[in-house]
Amino acid sequence: MTSTTRTHATPSPGAGAAAPREVRVAVIGSGFAGLAMGITLRQRGETDFVLLERAEDVGGTWRDNTYPGAACDVQSHLYSYSFAPNPDWPRSYSEQPEIQAYLQATADRYGVRAHCVFGAEVTAARWDDDARRWQVWTTAGEFRAQVLVSAAGALADPTYPDIPGLDTFEGTVMHSARWDSSHDVSGRKVAVIGTGASAVQIVPAIQPQVESIAVYQRTPAWVIPRTDHPVKPWARRLYRLVPGLQRALRGVLYASREFLVIGLAKRRAFLKPVGRLARAHLHRQVRDPRLRAALTPDYTIGCKRILISNDWFPAVSAPNAELVTAGIAEIRPRSIVTRDGVERPTDTLVLATGFHVTDLPIAERIRGRDARALAEVWAGGMVSNRSTTVAGFPNLFLLVGPNVGVGHTSMVYMIESQVAYVDDALRTMAAEGLAVLETTPRAQEAYRELIARKSQGTVWLGGGCASWYLDEHGHNTTLWPDFTFRFRKLTRALDRENYVGIPAGAPVREQGEAA
Amino acid sequence: MTGTLIRTVRKRTAAVPTTDGARLHATVEGAEDAPVTVVLAHGWTLSQAAWDDVAGLLADRVADGALRLVRYDQRGHGRSTWSSPTHPESGLSIDRLGADLAGVLDQLVPTGPVVLGGHSMGGMTIMCLSATRPELFGDRVRGVALVSTSAGDLASDPRSAGGRMARIRPGVLTAALTGAGLLERLRGLVPPTHPRHRTVVRDLLYGADATDEMVLEGARIMHASSLRAFIEFLPALGDHDKRTQLDALTRVPVEIFVGDSDKLTPERHSAHLAEALPAARLHRVERTGHMLPQERPELVVDGVLRLVAGATGRDVA
Ligand SMILES: Cc1cc2nc3c(=O)[nH]c(=O)nc-3n(C[C@H](O)[C@H](O)[C@H](O)COP(=O)(O)OP(=O)(O)OC[C@H]3O[C@@H](n4cnc5c(N)ncnc54)[C@H](O)[C@@H]3O)c2cc1C
Repeated sequence: MTSTTRTHATPSPGAGAAAPREVRVAVIGSGFAGLAMGITLRQRGETDFVLLERAEDVGGTWRDNTYPGAACDVQSHLYSYSFAPNPDWPRSYSEQPEIQAYLQATADRYGVRAHCVFGAEVTAARWDDDARRWQVWTTAGEFRAQVLVSAAGALADPTYPDIPGLDTFEGTVMHSARWDSSHDVSGRKVAVIGTGASAVQIVPAIQPQVESIAVYQRTPAWVIPRTDHPVKPWARRLYRLVPGLQRALRGVLYASREFLVIGLAKRRAFLKPVGRLARAHLHRQVRDPRLRAALTPDYTIGCKRILISNDWFPAVSAPNAELVTAGIAEIRPRSIVTRDGVERPTDTLVLATGFHVTDLPIAERIRGRDARALAEVWAGGMVSNRSTTVAGFPNLFLLVGPNVGVGHTSMVYMIESQVAYVDDALRTMAAEGLAVLETTPRAQEAYRELIARKSQGTVWLGGGCASWYLDEHGHNTTLWPDFTFRFRKLTRALDRENYVGIPAGAPVREQGEAA
Repeated sequence: MTGTLIRTVRKRTAAVPTTDGARLHATVEGAEDAPVTVVLAHGWTLSQAAWDDVAGLLADRVADGALRLVRYDQRGHGRSTWSSPTHPESGLSIDRLGADLAGVLDQLVPTGPVVLGGHSMGGMTIMCLSATRPELFGDRVRGVALVSTSAGDLASDPRSAGGRMARIRPGVLTAALTGAGLLERLRGLVPPTHPRHRTVVRDLLYGADATDEMVLEGARIMHASSLRAFIEFLPALGDHDKRTQLDALTRVPVEIFVGDSDKLTPERHSAHLAEALPAARLHRVERTGHMLPQERPELVVDGVLRLVAGATGRDVA
């Protein structure tokens, strides 16, 4: 299934010695988003592009998150490309190996793997205004591209907690997204820091094998039942015979999940039944009143990501488990000490502490026309036009950038919406013979206002929690705060009026007014 | 790197496997090299949380390294599981609990002196251990605290609540077990916070001085235990009889505690124990019910610390 074709940049004898490779489009990343972009480029007949990937394989999230129990939280029928349905999903919520295999197979089937440059971490990218091209430096050589698409992921760079003594720990430390499968956890005294989406999958998966497991919780999460089941062979056959059936199912799943938006973003009362469901789930699975209290969130359901699991509560109430709510004071070579003075012997430390979301590392590496990094421009909060373009960064498109995140449904839906938008932008450039396309600060401001307005009254702002959805100023800069079909509508075609275009061959100086 | 913390207490969680496939949830607090380990066994439909007040008063000694404290949930209680389905719970008996305690000792306290404390069914658990593993007593086990408990003959007391319960016919219990799911739901309708619930609990289990918080806390702990634990252990309690097998306990110092208002295991049970164990100290506590460890934790702690001092040959109090 994995083709061996690999385009490595010509090895350069010294840094920057080899001539940069010229391409029309350079895409950073080869996860769900990068691959979708690559597939779309190929389908519109574009072959002059590369996918710059720091790792050695495609897949992104699903290549990196190999921890025990890793699976998607949105049904596979929906959490997959619309153009590449897979009748063979083994479960309603597939596990990491199947999703990764799907991405690898899809990359091969659409011929994008040949465009991947693996081992190419983008260390810097800069808009060269004279050449009207992006200069991209990677660990596999230099590239020059007319268009740069950043699909570097929003949940791709692990965050490590700032706990005194973490560096002195003598046992094994692993971040959930950097699982070391060579480290056998059976019989170990394991500590898991964090109780988010990854932890609720890891803990039940390893609890039966380990000697003891201490779960360090800062804030409890609302958890609802997971209606997971294997897909019957006859059903798979049927999907194969009647492809429309799977599409219809996808539609039903999509629509039913979209109902949640009413509660999350419009009428809080609609979340009540979901809250009741979560409460009943907790009551059914946890008898101990103290444990129950410790596992009961004090914020409105939906404010933080709603988790789905049938075995999380049983796992934290297992005979060898302990939920620790006292904050961690320090980590010692062989133990963890909490603020109440309790020291728990530990030999394996699992950091389920999430990712850099509101401070995307790639933003520090991309510099626009005035040489300022995206991160600097975004210091006051991430801004964009339609979550995809940024003024001062011509010919740059961001996939899964600001305000495209969704917790209630499939990210792939958002990714495909954005890719269609980029596709239309490229089509417009070709049709109008534009060398440069850049959005305006005014469009950006209008979009910021739109997001702020839509975010008003949502549970993410008013639900009484501090989540990774909000930036340090408390603004929603990560989530799309409305029905996802509204985002699709907004990105169906390029909003040409919000862009300044410079025709190919126009004198270089003229673009001054766009700034 | 050691920050501002003055001292820390080591704590670990352990799941002790039993020979018939159950897993017992145990909490071990204190230094592994402490001179003595105190192991506490809780009562019927309670959990190790029933020892929280006692543990709280012992915390300083634990932190000082003077003793190590082990608490565990009896099978089917708290976080401990029942035996695996491949080992059908054929005729669950209190003897089985004695074997469980032996397992806890073997795995968590394989060496060094031990002081055992048992409340109610936990006390019976210790008596069973003494009957089946007498060699442990004197050598390993250096002291025993028996709190609100009985050596047997619970059913013969027609007026005691324990006696009344012990005479519930087995058929009724089987029926109850079949409908356990429904009963559990009904039970959920009268939560511990319900005044009626607390009145019932207070009348049955507590003495005159018990505070409302105590009663609520006890009711919460009991509410968390399953109906199955209630039903499966009821006949076992009625069958418990170790009145003629207490020899091993004569070899160690024993402290016996009973409340004068105990309705489940009334005073005469402790009086009988004191007769069978002439060297034991019997403490009859006034205005106190069955939940003595919760109602008078300081008295229990004094007793435990006397036993600890005897076990190590030095005074830690
Ligand atoms: C454990 C987990 C479970 C999830 N489950 C779901 C779910 O059920 N449903 C859902 O909708 N979403 C889920 N998500 C979100 C998920 O991240 C997205 O759905 C989707 O996979 C994102 O794809 P992406 O291509 O944007 O990013 P990624 O998959 O993160 O891909 C980014 C790629 O860019 C590469 N890269 C990053 N920086 C550089 C650089 N400087 N140079 C070169 N390459 C670089 C990375 O190596 C990576 O391959 C989950 C996320 C995690 C972590």
